[in-house]
Amino acid sequence: MTANRRSLLKTLTALPVIAGLVSVLSPLVRYLKPNDRPYQLPLTAPDAPEGGPQVVGQTTSLAKPWDYFYFTYVQKYAQYDPTGYKKANLAGVAVKLPKKVKFVQPETGFVGFEGETDIALFQRICPHLGCIFNFIPDWHEVTAGYGGYRPPSWEEHSLMACPCHLSIYDPSYPGYPGNVISGPAPRGARLFKFEIKGTDIIVTDAESGGIA
Amino acid sequence: MEAVLANLKEWLQDRKSHLDLFDETNTAKQDNPLYIMGGLVWLSWMIVIVSGIILMLWYIPTTTGAYRSIMHLTNDIPFGWLVRGMHKYGADMLIITITIRIYRMYFAGEYKKPGELSWMILFASLVLGMISGITGYALIWNQRAFWAAKTVLTVPTYYDEIPVIGKLGIGHAIAYVFLGGPALGQATLTRFYAIHFGISVLAVILAEVFFYRTRRRRVNLSLFTVTLVTVFLAYVSFDQLAAMGRWANPNRTPLPILSDWYFLALYQLVKYMPPLWAGIAPGLLIGYGMVVPFLDRTKETRTLERPFFFVVGALALAYYIGFTVLIMLNIAVISRDPPIIMVVTFVVITLAFVWEIAHRRRKARLAREKQAQGRSAQPGRTAATGPAAPAAPAQV
Repeated sequence: MTANRRSLLKTLTALPVIAGLVSVLSPLVRYLKPNDRPYQLPLTAPDAPEGGPQVVGQTTSLAKPWDYFYFTYVQKYAQYDPTGYKKANLAGVAVKLPKKVKFVQPETGFVGFEGETDIALFQRICPHLGCIFNFIPDWHEVTAGYGGYRPPSWEEHSLMACPCHLSIYDPSYPGYPGNVISGPAPRGARLFKFEIKGTDIIVTDAESGGIA
Repeated sequence: MEAVLANLKEWLQDRKSHLDLFDETNTAKQDNPLYIMGGLVWLSWMIVIVSGIILMLWYIPTTTGAYRSIMHLTNDIPFGWLVRGMHKYGADMLIITITIRIYRMYFAGEYKKPGELSWMILFASLVLGMISGITGYALIWNQRAFWAAKTVLTVPTYYDEIPVIGKLGIGHAIAYVFLGGPALGQATLTRFYAIHFGISVLAVILAEVFFYRTRRRRVNLSLFTVTLVTVFLAYVSFDQLAAMGRWANPNRTPLPILSDWYFLALYQLVKYMPPLWAGIAPGLLIGYGMVVPFLDRTKETRTLERPFFFVVGALALAYYIGFTVLIMLNIAVISRDPPIIMVVTFVVITLAFVWEIAHRRRKARLAREKQAQGRSAQPGRTAATGPAAPAAPAQV
């Protein structure tokens, strides 16, 4: 291709036209994609929890191994505002494990608890496609209702299982609390970061990711 | 380049003149019930549009009002149950008729020249129908709606795991656009309402342009058939009141939870597959459907004369029904089944390929023998055609 006068002039005229088109298209895209702050195109807002420290329960409710309770970590912007913008609350489960473990997510390195703990706090939002999974005190129920998974003998204890696509999680999996042991989920359950003051269990942060 | 464009234009014009979307006049088999599907598609579509507009008079598109407004409409408004039933079962009929028509066109080879464009439009309309379905049943804002919407809109986020292009964050952006924010909520409901309505509005405008320009008939059915189908839908609406489910609860997913019936097979597939593949697989299926008229190059339309495509279609049908049964009875073992299914698929596809090759060889041999017989019968003419001429490019 030779550069002649005509092609040069064409290019020179095209540039402002393209720039004009882009300036029109950008608000159009913004019309489709709601942003909570300016200049986020095409990135999405990080799905980070914004709830601050919250007392979610008491250690006295978790006396024996496999005692558990459900709780909800309330997000700061959970209410509907006029734009319909919503950040979902995080459903969680607190479990008493049979022995103390390091409460760390090995894949992301997220530290849920400083030091060792026998209390584990998992987000119940399935890391697969976002359904809310259940804590199943009796593993027989997992085999019966959640896709026929029969845990090996060392894993015959309480498990967590998702009703939607039947992923099964083990709260006390060695070296990986909440690891996925069956089903399509690509990773283990997400963790909460928490501390214990007296008998209060205080959630201070949560692992981000997925759609909450 | 210009030649290619000219060819494409000519192709498009030719196929456009052969479009057969609703009236099924290109096939002289109107006595066969499989050939009233085109008319039924249009009929059920119109029932859905009219009943949908009446539903809009009462529907409140908010997360707090939707469920109650539909409850009110169904139970308190005179004939509200009928309008809702006609909308729901009419939509089911639309999906069923499109699906039957797709399988018929597939097995009868009707997607071949000059039916390629008709097939592609029909296939796209099934996809649009299913999108309409999922955005539509979300509007009730019950548990099924909530979790279907949430899982479906989480699938695109896995596109960000694809190397290189995943870095752009397009998957999350897609989810964000359809959710209207970081989570499923009011904005999602509003968007789904707009999409649900918009798909039919745009499609009906296109269909009317088509009717205006081609003077084709909308419903090529007898009055008796139309009445029978409408009365049947009304009876079903009365007998099987459209289900309400329970109000959506973002903190509790019920067990078991099922999608609407036409997604069940796909749902079972999502249980079996890693999530990225579960997001890509439907795209591959749609892609196969769209290009199959150009893959199956023979002129042969009889099913057993094109073994490979017959087996692929039969396998798809078997999986569609099989997976639906598995999920409805909840008997699949997630940790055991996927390798079995992979092996079965692989073996069946390989055998189909072998069958296709063997079939083509057999046909070529028969053609050669026939030609040889023809030569021996008329020895005087062989010199003219020449023995070197290749066997007639047998219908392969």
